Amino acid sequence: MKRIGSFFCVICSAFLLAGFLPLQAIGQSNVSVKSTVTQTTIYTGERIQLTVEISGDFNDVSRPELPNFQGFRLLSNTPSTSRSFRYVNGQSSTTYSYSYQLIAQQQGDFRIPPVTVTIDGEDYQTEPIDVSIVDRNDAAQSGGSQRPDIFLQLEVSDEQPITGQQIISDVVLYFQDGLEVNSYQPVPGWKAEGFWKEELENTQRPQATSTIIDGVRYRKARLLQFALFPTKSGELQISPYEIVVSVRSTRSRGDSFSSFFGGFGGNQRQVELKSDPVTLNVQSLPAAEDSYYFGAVGNYNISRDVSAQKATEGESIEIKTRINGTGNIPLITKPEYELPDGLEVYEPQENSQLNRRNHQISGNKTFTDVIIARKAGHYTIPEQKIAYFDPSQNRYVSQTLPALNFKVARNPNTVANGPSAGTMPVSPVTGLAAWTTPAPTDLLSHWWFWIGLLLPIGLLVVAYWQKRYTDRMSNDRAFARSQKAADTSNDRLKRAVELSEKGKVKEAYNMLQKAITGFIGDRLNLSEAGLSNKDYIQALEQQNIDAELIKNIRMLLDKCDSISYAPTTTPEYLKSHVGLAQSTLEKLKKVL
Amino acid sequence: MKNIKRLFFWIILCVLILPTHGLGQQSPQATFDQANELLNSGEYERAITHYQQLEKQKQWSGALFLNLGISYQRLDSLGKAKYYYLKASDFEETASKAQQALSYVNSQFSHQSAVLPKLPWDVATTWLQKNIGASTLLAAAIIVLNIGILLFIARWFIPWIPSYFRMGSFVVIGISLLIMATAFYTQYISDRYREAVMVTEEASIVENPQAETSLVSQAFEGYTFTVDHRRSGRHPNWSYVRMSNGLYGWIPTENILIL
Repeated sequence: MKRIGSFFCVICSAFLLAGFLPLQAIGQSNVSVKSTVTQTTIYTGERIQLTVEISGDFNDVSRPELPNFQGFRLLSNTPSTSRSFRYVNGQSSTTYSYSYQLIAQQQGDFRIPPVTVTIDGEDYQTEPIDVSIVDRNDAAQSGGSQRPDIFLQLEVSDEQPITGQQIISDVVLYFQDGLEVNSYQPVPGWKAEGFWKEELENTQRPQATSTIIDGVRYRKARLLQFALFPTKSGELQISPYEIVVSVRSTRSRGDSFSSFFGGFGGNQRQVELKSDPVTLNVQSLPAAEDSYYFGAVGNYNISRDVSAQKATEGESIEIKTRINGTGNIPLITKPEYELPDGLEVYEPQENSQLNRRNHQISGNKTFTDVIIARKAGHYTIPEQKIAYFDPSQNRYVSQTLPALNFKVARNPNTVANGPSAGTMPVSPVTGLAAWTTPAPTDLLSHWWFWIGLLLPIGLLVVAYWQKRYTDRMSNDRAFARSQKAADTSNDRLKRAVELSEKGKVKEAYNMLQKAITGFIGDRLNLSEAGLSNKDYIQALEQQNIDAELIKNIRMLLDKCDSISYAPTTTPEYLKSHVGLAQSTLEKLKKVL
Repeated sequence: MKNIKRLFFWIILCVLILPTHGLGQQSPQATFDQANELLNSGEYERAITHYQQLEKQKQWSGALFLNLGISYQRLDSLGKAKYYYLKASDFEETASKAQQALSYVNSQFSHQSAVLPKLPWDVATTWLQKNIGASTLLAAAIIVLNIGILLFIARWFIPWIPSYFRMGSFVVIGISLLIMATAFYTQYISDRYREAVMVTEEASIVENPQAETSLVSQAFEGYTFTVDHRRSGRHPNWSYVRMSNGLYGWIPTENILIL
């Protein structure tokens, strides 16, 4: 009854205080309900304490509605209660605690179901708690543990994380009854290669809870807590963690819930403890469907904005990209944006704030792009799709950042002092310009080069041939006679026709004969005098000349011989012989 | 009658097609004037687009390159401005203005490069390229060659020509071959080695065409290089360059514009 009365006093006081608070503060509801047990592994027959803690800003709260417990028996429906009230920075906060005693009755693994509490007319439920109950006799028969009476262990929240995923690593100290830990000191220099690590804040002193390992009761206390972010995939090992603890042996007091830090006394000693290394199998990130992933793993809210909608030429404008949430904030890189031309971009600034409380790394990171527009106009930075990986959903979450628009006005000072105002010595050339088309640069592509090269070569060849001919004509008499034979015979034939027209038939036939024999003699380089017709015929026969041709020649020569002694012959008759002689000599030219 | 109809059809077709063709291809002067107006009104990027359209169409002039350089300079892209001023300096009508602009823009760069004097042979080759040109040299060589050949032939057929003409013709032909060789060498040097200007703010000159290799030097916007095209051809996206201070190395091609 006394407790209940006190409880009502507190309630009334809380209501009075709430009446003085601004309405806005009253309207805010930030209530948390959680249940805890003193041990999660106990022997049959042992007691554990179930505590339901309600904290936040509220007006009315009901007593917890307890569920049916399997494996346990509730000692009393009436809980022991405690409450506290805080008023910090205009925010009030009340905490109620209801504690119940449970006795373990059956061996096995049991779950303490959720406890329901009605706060301001709304039902809240706690998370269920798993508890193992071990039979004391079975534990005694198992022969006890091989473990030392005090040891250190690294316990990770996930042994198969994804690259970049936040995992929590607890440094947990286990020690048996009869030992009392006075203090501990971490050995500096712990490295977690392949991980980015951040130590998490823990405002509470380490609390020892009881547990049973291989049938032996230990007390365990989480000393430190780290957030680790794997930076690469594969098998990664967290190196051993070392601490120095100051312990002392105590007489068994049978109180397994004694304070973690005992007082100083006898049998005190320093023990250096080292945990076993922990191997993690880090999975690589799934292949991204697109290139919008920018290195963030976790759960984020991303936004961006521009510092000014209007600016002047040369004035700096900031584009801020804000990323807040939970995850690998220190490892996030800036998303890349497509910026329009005419903007001068400077090295982006980076600012991050990490929150190490609540057993995780959360916070925000801000990237500030500083840009300067060099000319007036409307600028639009197009919308940008970005993606981060959410391990809880095991997928990439994409988000579209809206387009940013701003206007840059001309800076009158820039115009006055601009390049055209005198600093730049040259002004643009306007008016008519002389246009040219670039000529081919390959020399061999010029037509005149080939003409100019081949023409003198051809000229040289022709001239050389002509020179050789001239030289031979003047030096080689036989060659000269042979070359001139046709012309000489033609002249003689014309002369024969002229003589016949003048009535000099005899001289004409002599000339005809001379034309024929002269041609044969010149061609075959025969003696110019002293040869008979027969000699010429023989010479032709030695050249394997066609017999018909030789026959014609012989006939003509015989005619010349006989007709030179028969002066009655007419000029027409001679002309027929001249014609025959011409055709015969033409044929002879081809074979001699 | 049928022929008249066909003729009429072709005339109509020509009348319809010809103006369309004329409109599709604007004259270079008109595009240039349009770009100049944009430049004067401060729309530098649009002006550059028009100027570069002419550049791509191989319609070149000193005024075009000078105005391109001025446009880039007003956009504070000094490397590209220098590149176009260098191009404008090759044209007689804008050489003087381009040199003034080059002097000014060179003074604006944040980093200045030390310049090692060129070897005399390189100076001579550059002079020939700039002032005479390989084609002119080749044309001169062809003319001299023909004169030499004619002199040589003349001695065969004209007896009164003195005998030393023959020796003289050999000398003339030899000179022509020497000029021709110089023309081809000048062209080879011109094709293999080209001047380039760095147009990005900063880049590393490295020993090998790889991302991870020893650093030779750091280069900055406005630095000029001599690019060896023969060596660069084996490595896409990389250029083998000689810096103006005499150092050699590789630079990503995206950082330079080759003249």
